[in-house]
Amino acid sequence: MYSVELRGVTKRYPGGGDEPVVALDDVDFAVEPGEFVAVVGPSGSGKSTLLNVLGLLDDPTEGWRLLDGTDVTELTVGERTAARKESIGFVFQDFHLLPTLTAVENVALPTAFDPGDATDRATDLLRRFGLGERLDHEPSELSGGQKQRVAIARSLINQPSVLLADEPTGNLDTETGESILAEFERVKSEGVAVIAVTHDPLVEEYADRVVELTDGVLVGGIADPPTHAGGDSTPDHDADAPQTGGSDPSGEADADSPLAPEER
Amino acid sequence: MSGGWLRGWRPAASMAARNLRRNRIRTVLAVLGVTIGVLAVAALGIFGNVLALGAADAIGDIGTQVVVSPNADAGVESLSTADVTAIRRAVSDPAVGDPAVVPLYSDNAVVAGTSSQTFATVYGVEQPGLAFEAAEGSLPDRHRRGVIVGADVAADIGVETGDAVEIAGRQVRVVAVLAESETFSPVAPDNAVFLPESAFAADGYAQVLVVADSGETARAAADAIRESVNAREERVSLFELAAIVDEINGFFDLLSTFLLGLGAISLVVAGVSILNVMLMSTVERRQEIGVMRAVGVTRRDVLRVLLAEAGLIGAAGAVAGTALTVLLVAGLVISTPAVDAALVLDPTNGYYLLLALVFGVGVGIVSGAYPAWQAANERPVDALRS
Repeated sequence: MYSVELRGVTKRYPGGGDEPVVALDDVDFAVEPGEFVAVVGPSGSGKSTLLNVLGLLDDPTEGWRLLDGTDVTELTVGERTAARKESIGFVFQDFHLLPTLTAVENVALPTAFDPGDATDRATDLLRRFGLGERLDHEPSELSGGQKQRVAIARSLINQPSVLLADEPTGNLDTETGESILAEFERVKSEGVAVIAVTHDPLVEEYADRVVELTDGVLVGGIADPPTHAGGDSTPDHDADAPQTGGSDPSGEADADSPLAPEER
Repeated sequence: MSGGWLRGWRPAASMAARNLRRNRIRTVLAVLGVTIGVLAVAALGIFGNVLALGAADAIGDIGTQVVVSPNADAGVESLSTADVTAIRRAVSDPAVGDPAVVPLYSDNAVVAGTSSQTFATVYGVEQPGLAFEAAEGSLPDRHRRGVIVGADVAADIGVETGDAVEIAGRQVRVVAVLAESETFSPVAPDNAVFLPESAFAADGYAQVLVVADSGETARAAADAIRESVNAREERVSLFELAAIVDEINGFFDLLSTFLLGLGAISLVVAGVSILNVMLMSTVERRQEIGVMRAVGVTRRDVLRVLLAEAGLIGAAGAVAGTALTVLLVAGLVISTPAVDAALVLDPTNGYYLLLALVFGVGVGIVSGAYPAWQAANERPVDALRS
């Protein structure tokens, strides 16, 4: 079972003229648990739309959308919100942390209005990302890389099955970008499907699979049966990223198992 | 369900409070607007209420007395014992509060003290205690001897209890001096002296005073007398001030409403300023709200945060405005001896404070509702794109 799957998805926007703008054109796309897929393509090719449709922020005009094997093509606003919280983590180019909240509170934001206190879980996540010393700092007191790690921790607070990243390294220097990508590797090793929309060749290097979107047409959206066994250009990263959780399709990988806290 | 409903407000209020601290000057100005609005509503409300209470106090029992006189137009010159009995029967009904019925003989005479004299009304009354109050001495249950002197007469001729006065050439001892009358009444007790009924040889009463507990019972008594005593012929004419009191009270109600309306205008202005602050703030934080929605915060919870912000502005302004009102009114009472402290401490003024407090919070929430609803319902994909 795929973590997330699009079948024949077309997305049309009402354009300025008579003809609607076709942002996605009959896209088939599927990502397995523990797979890291980079989506590349020129600006305006529909990458953001693809991410929005995958992330249940936008609905397809035609086609089907499945999340963990469940049809989520047409949901009410409330159901979509709940599904996003439950199964999807977002990482943005501009981090999009709330400036009034501390690092821990930002991480716990998706659960802030739920019964129970997620502070412990948020603290654990931040420690894992090497931010144990920055728990109560506000975003303005953090560097870009630290902010992005807080954002990744936030995306993982509900143990999602899919992590969607929009230009996750776009605002970071190469070194910081690499450390963020290393975090993605650890995330995917827990069985989370990671999908990153990017211009950055570095991201392509880390990805298990690179798909290209051109004028709404996606090439290579569904991997051939022997998926990330070979043919990829990142053997050195595969070597130091343990694959223990890679085959766990539930996305419920234990928060404390494969990753040890690591100071950077 | 209600527990969960309440629980969601705590994180919302906490986030709202922090958001308000981001642009302190803007928040303080919005709070100031509500403060002034609440101050205006509460202070003008209390002002109007104190005026009304003061007026009611000054008018006093004006509306509680009914004066029954013989109807001269119908040829009735005086009220007979039968008439008095009929009046007593008419009003001896628990529904009209069983008012006291005090028949009065009436005449005019020169009243002389030791040094000076004055022209006064002389009444004959058996039970003065039912209708009047003594300033010195005490009013007898049954008036049998001596004279009771009205306040102005006593002052004019300079007599006190125990002194002797000469009324129509006869020496009588003063048994009591009446307190200055607070009521406006055709009986005018201040300018009168009261002798026992036995001093009069008249064959009929000039007036019958019906003294009720309240304006309402006075009106009921008057109606009862009209119905029964005047059933066959218009034997008596009635003088009652309850209707006038109603008019006066109506005027003060109008004045209070007018003053409250003035205050409400400033509160509306404050509401517009909250609306403006919330609109600006939600536009500025469009992306943040989009992020909250994207990571799974529900529309309802976003709405809660924003409503809590507006509500906090309203509540802070309302509390400050209420506190300022209390200070202002206290200062007014201390600096103006003419204002009766008892009137200001009247519990009904607390109602205006509470009203202003509720209005302040209400204005905050109502003004915040539209921007909050708008922001919460924006599609996160649109909010994030900006």
